Amino acid sequence: MGTPAGDPRAGSDARDRAIAALAAIAIGIQILEAAIPSPVPGIKPGLANIVTLITLLVLGWRAAVAVTLIRVVGSSLLLGTLLSPAFWLSLAGAVASLVLLAALRPFTPRHVGPVGLAIAAAMGHITGQFLLAWAIIIPHPNLPLVLPPLLLAALIAGSLTGILTAQVLADPRIQRHVRKPAPSS
Amino acid sequence: MTGGLLRWGDALIGTLAAAIVLTAFVLAYSPSGDARVLVISQAGAEPRHEPLDRARVLEIRGPAGITRIEIEPGRARCAESPGRQDICEASGWLQAHGEVAVSLPNRLTLQVLGTEPGFDSMHY
Amino acid sequence: MRLVMTRTLPLLLATALLVACGGEEPDTEQLGFYAFGTLVDLSLYPAGEYDVEAIGTAVQEELEILHTSWHAWEPGSLGRTNELLALQGEFSAPPSVLPLIERGREMEALSDGLFNPALGKLVAAWGFHQDEPEGPPPDDDTLAELLDDPPGMQDIERNGVRLRGTHPDLQLDFGGLAKGLAVERVLELLAEQGVEAAIFNAGGDLMTLGRPQGRPWRVGIRHPHGGVLGSIELDAGEALFTSGDYERGYDWEGERIHHVIDPRTGRPSRGIDSATVLHHDPAVADAAATTLMIAGPDAWPEYARKMGIEHALVVLEDRIEATPALAERVQPGRDREPLVVRELP
Repeated sequence: MGTPAGDPRAGSDARDRAIAALAAIAIGIQILEAAIPSPVPGIKPGLANIVTLITLLVLGWRAAVAVTLIRVVGSSLLLGTLLSPAFWLSLAGAVASLVLLAALRPFTPRHVGPVGLAIAAAMGHITGQFLLAWAIIIPHPNLPLVLPPLLLAALIAGSLTGILTAQVLADPRIQRHVRKPAPSS
Repeated sequence: MTGGLLRWGDALIGTLAAAIVLTAFVLAYSPSGDARVLVISQAGAEPRHEPLDRARVLEIRGPAGITRIEIEPGRARCAESPGRQDICEASGWLQAHGEVAVSLPNRLTLQVLGTEPGFDSMHY
Repeated sequence: MRLVMTRTLPLLLATALLVACGGEEPDTEQLGFYAFGTLVDLSLYPAGEYDVEAIGTAVQEELEILHTSWHAWEPGSLGRTNELLALQGEFSAPPSVLPLIERGREMEALSDGLFNPALGKLVAAWGFHQDEPEGPPPDDDTLAELLDDPPGMQDIERNGVRLRGTHPDLQLDFGGLAKGLAVERVLELLAEQGVEAAIFNAGGDLMTLGRPQGRPWRVGIRHPHGGVLGSIELDAGEALFTSGDYERGYDWEGERIHHVIDPRTGRPSRGIDSATVLHHDPAVADAAATTLMIAGPDAWPEYARKMGIEHALVVLEDRIEATPALAERVQPGRDREPLVVRELP
């Protein structure tokens, strides 16, 4: 496992660089995803979330918030959607999933691993987006009918990204940085 | 702590999420009578469609005065209408597909529709 | 994982709209107006085929003429006829009232006198010959007087277009029949205008003309106590009429006084809240609905049989009874108890 010296939290410069690098990767994934047409319009695997989860598990919650917010703003800058409805929806989803991840913090990584976190984040993401769409953008009475299929898609995509996250985490190059579980007292 | 191994929390979250998805499907697609749109037809005018999504009050002017319509999510009612017999008000909350309230003095019919196909006509 | 809404937004919108419209354009055109003292609603099939405004105007004009001619208490052909009948001398009847009198006679005979259009005085005594009915109800002496040797349709002598009244209390009121005949007229008019299929709905009572291609007419039936009782699929040329205690009335000393007067007691009928009849002849459907309501909870199947009605239902305080033929066709609404089948004798 990681030695204290190898822990990126040791120095704030190294930590900032790690956050910047992770955010850059996340932005790259998000833009690639936006460029690849999805078989079902509107539904995407959300692979950038892997980066958020890895950041959370390696660098901690604050870093995950930073990476996620940089990703949302950065990718929308590059995609030209800043402050458009798509941006607000993306932000709402990101904030909602971060809230859920925060709520699960006490249980990670001891009781909840990447798969559980990814599922929770995915469900939170779509719910946050949906609530914003419902409340502000298109308050249409039939909109709730669209939610169940989206939730199902979120469950499936969340499981997949969770498994992928676990694979990435298992990589020795990542393992070096992973925090040890809190010593049980 | 190698990745790929499911902890009990993961299983719990997965199960909960699956339950939420299932519940969402059941709630959204079970045949509920919940009305979704109010059709306001006034003699001589195009019917007007109002989604029953959020609470608000509409006032419709007719030959005999003003009919006040209260809309809440999933239902609507004729809250106040001219006419001494209060027939419109007596219809109460309209919430099941096809329910109607009529204000004869104001030449007005209110009908709520759900997700089923609408009726060609309403017998009352 | 994330679901990016960049493309989800249009998807959501499209789906919501699709669901809202049921996925397809309605195949009928709707037209509503006020005529015949009620709200009239016309559904024309197929949509986009007709000059809806012209048809609406024609129907409205026809209904206005009929309304004036047949009105039971406003001046018009029937009003004049009533004045002349009371004089008990021979006179030439306005042509528009002759069919009313003939069909009225027929319905009185069919209903064994329960449907009696000659009792206008009794209806007026209860305060129903005004736009907003009101009390006080007649006292016992007045009622006894009105019920002592009451007039009937046989008290009109007809010789060609010449009529003569032979009863001093004879006053015609075709409530419970006039609307049926008006519906018949309007359907003829629609057919003349080249309408292929339509539902004509006058204040809730309706009749079909033809039917849309590939599907039946779908009609919702409102429960008199609120909500939807159920729905029924109608074929071409079927009339659905309801008579109910909620239609016209007033409260007097805590009692609901409604407009369907039982000629046997001289009082508003009791026991049946509303009666609905399905028949190919709208005049029969209209008169039979009134008759069944007067007949009451015990005798209604007997009167249905007498009038040749196979499809009827009555709403009682705690249940809905229907003839076997109608019970088979009505799809009860959600959360509604099944109809109680009542065999015809």
